[in-house]
Amino acid sequence: MYDLLQRFQNMDRRWIFAGMALAILIPLLFPVEFEFAVDERVSSLYDAVEALPTGSTVFISADFDPASRPELEPFFRANLDHLFRKDIKIVMATLWEFAPPIAVPITEEIAAAHGKEYGVDWVFLGYKPGKELAIKSIGENIPKTFPTDSRGTPVGEIAVMNGIKQAKDFPLLINVSAGFPGTREYVLQIQGQYDLKIASACTAVSGPDYIPFYKAGQLVGLSAGMPGSAQYEKLVWAESEPPKGTRKLATQAVNVLNLGHAYVILLILFGNIAYFLTRPKEVSDD
Amino acid sequence: MTELTQFDLVGAWISIFLTLCILSFLYEDNPIYKLAEHLFLGVSIGISITEIYYGVFKPNLLLKLAGGRWLSVIPLILLVMLFFKVSKKYSWVARTPIAFIVAAYAGVKLTGEANANLMTQVAQTMPDLATSWAEHGFWDWSADGAGVFSDVVLVVGLVACLVHFYFSRVPPSVTRYGAKLAIFAGVGVMFFTAAGLLVVDKAGPFSAVFLGMLAGVCAAMPFLAFSTYRPWVTRFGVLMLMLSFGASFGYTVMGRISLAIGRAQEMLGLTRPMEQVVQIHPRIASLVSIVLIVAFLVVWRMRGGGPKEPEPS
Repeated sequence: MYDLLQRFQNMDRRWIFAGMALAILIPLLFPVEFEFAVDERVSSLYDAVEALPTGSTVFISADFDPASRPELEPFFRANLDHLFRKDIKIVMATLWEFAPPIAVPITEEIAAAHGKEYGVDWVFLGYKPGKELAIKSIGENIPKTFPTDSRGTPVGEIAVMNGIKQAKDFPLLINVSAGFPGTREYVLQIQGQYDLKIASACTAVSGPDYIPFYKAGQLVGLSAGMPGSAQYEKLVWAESEPPKGTRKLATQAVNVLNLGHAYVILLILFGNIAYFLTRPKEVSDD
Repeated sequence: MTELTQFDLVGAWISIFLTLCILSFLYEDNPIYKLAEHLFLGVSIGISITEIYYGVFKPNLLLKLAGGRWLSVIPLILLVMLFFKVSKKYSWVARTPIAFIVAAYAGVKLTGEANANLMTQVAQTMPDLATSWAEHGFWDWSADGAGVFSDVVLVVGLVACLVHFYFSRVPPSVTRYGAKLAIFAGVGVMFFTAAGLLVVDKAGPFSAVFLGMLAGVCAAMPFLAFSTYRPWVTRFGVLMLMLSFGASFGYTVMGRISLAIGRAQEMLGLTRPMEQVVQIHPRIASLVSIVLIVAFLVVWRMRGGGPKEPEPS
C-alpha cells in the first residue's frame, strides 16, 4: 500500500491528462444530464433583457476571441436569440480585433433565423482599437467613434442608429467580455459617469473580479464562464427551442464540466492522502 | 441542405488537425506542436495587422489625408517617431510619442479607477445591516448567500486582510490599549446601533440587539490590530486570502476545463448543425488526425527525437 501511494505521487503527469481526456470525452459521447440551478446574477441579467420595451435598441460590445469562444459563444447566441425574439434592435461593436470573424457570422445567422434586416434591426459598427480610450469615446460620442459601420456605410444613413448619439442613449449595454479590454474597463470608464445599465458575460477566470461590480450595482447582471452560459440558455430556451443552426452547447458542456471537476477533486484528495500517509516522520533533535 | 464549399470542408479538417497538434504537447514538446504554434502566431499577427489596417489606418489616417485633412499628419509623424525606438543612436526621438501615450492613458485610467473602483467599492464595504437583515435575513440561499452573515464576514475579513498586510509590527506599548479600545468601540457601537434601530422602529428588540452585536464586532476588529490578539486577526486575514485565492483558482480551473470541452465538442462535431456534420465528418477527421500525429511521434522518437538522456560523466 505504501509503495502504491508513493508511486501515485510520482506518477507521470501524462496519465493525469489522459484521465482528464476520458472524463471529458466519455460524457460527451454518452451524454449524462444533471440538474443545475440558475444563479441570481444570471437571472438578473435575463430579467434586465426581459424588462426592455419592444423596439428599443441595445448596445453589444462583443469582446471575445477564438480562445474564449467555448465559454462565451453559447451566451452570445442565446442572448442574440433572446433580443431578436423580443424585437429589440442591436448595435454591435468590438474592441477585440479577433472578434469580427466570430461575432458577425453568428449574428447574421441568428438575425436571418428571425427575419431581421441588417441596418434596420441590427448593425455591426466594427472593431475599434484604443482600449479604454475607445470605451471613453463610445461613452461620449458614438458617431464620432464609429463614423461608418463595418461595411463602410456612414452611421447617419443607418436606420437603427437614428437618435443614438452616445452610450447613455441605450437602455442596456451588454458586454461579452473575454478579458482586457472588457467589462472592468466599461465599468471604470463610463458606467459611473453616465449611470449606465451594463450586463456582462465573462470568462470563468474573470468571474471573481467582476462579482464585486455586480454586488455594488455597477452591473445589472453577470454570467460567468460555461455555467453562466448554461444557466442563461436554460432561461432563454425554457419554453422554446434554439434557432436553426444553434445547439445548447453550454448546457451540454456543463454536464461534462461536473465530471471534469469531480476528477480534479478526486486527484486533489488522493494526492493529499498519499502525501500525508507517506511523508517521512519528523525526527526530533532530542 | 446548404452545400459547404471545399474551403469550408478543408478549413474544418485543418482546424481539427491543428487542435490535436497543439494537444500533442501534453505528450511532450515536438516538431508538430511547434508547427501548429508558429502557424497560430503567424495567423494571429496577420489578422491583427489586417484588422488594424482596415479599422484604424485606412479610416483614421489614409482616407483623412486623401480628403485633404492635413492635421492628420501629426499622428502620422508621432507614429514614425515611435519607430526610432529600434535605433540605438536616435531612440530618444521615440520618447515624445511615448510620453503622449502614457500621459493620455494615465489621465483616462485615473478618473475611472478613482470613481468606480475605489469610491464605489469602498462604499460597498460598509453594508447596511438593517436593510440586509430586512431583505435577506441571516443567510439567503436564493440570493447567492446574501444576508447579514455575508456582510459581517466581508467587513471582518477585509479588516483582517488589511491588518495582515499593513500592521505587521506594532510597538508593545501600543498593544496595552488595543483590547480596551476594541471593547469600548464594540460595546459603544453595539449600544448605539441597537438603540438607534429600536428608536427608528426599523427592527424588533431581538433583531436590534443581534444587529447591534454584529455591528459591534465589525467596529471592534480594527482595534484588535493594536492588541495582543493581533496574530489571531492576521491569521484570519490569511485564511480569508486563501479562501479568495482558492475561489479564483477554482474559477480558473473551470475555465480551462471549459476550453478543453469546447475543443472536444468541435472534434466530435457537436458544435455544428447536423447538415454540416454529415458533410465534414468531424469524427473521421479527428481519428485520421490522431493516427497521423501518433505515427509522426513514433517515427520522430525512433529517429532520436525527444529529450536526450544525460551522458554519463
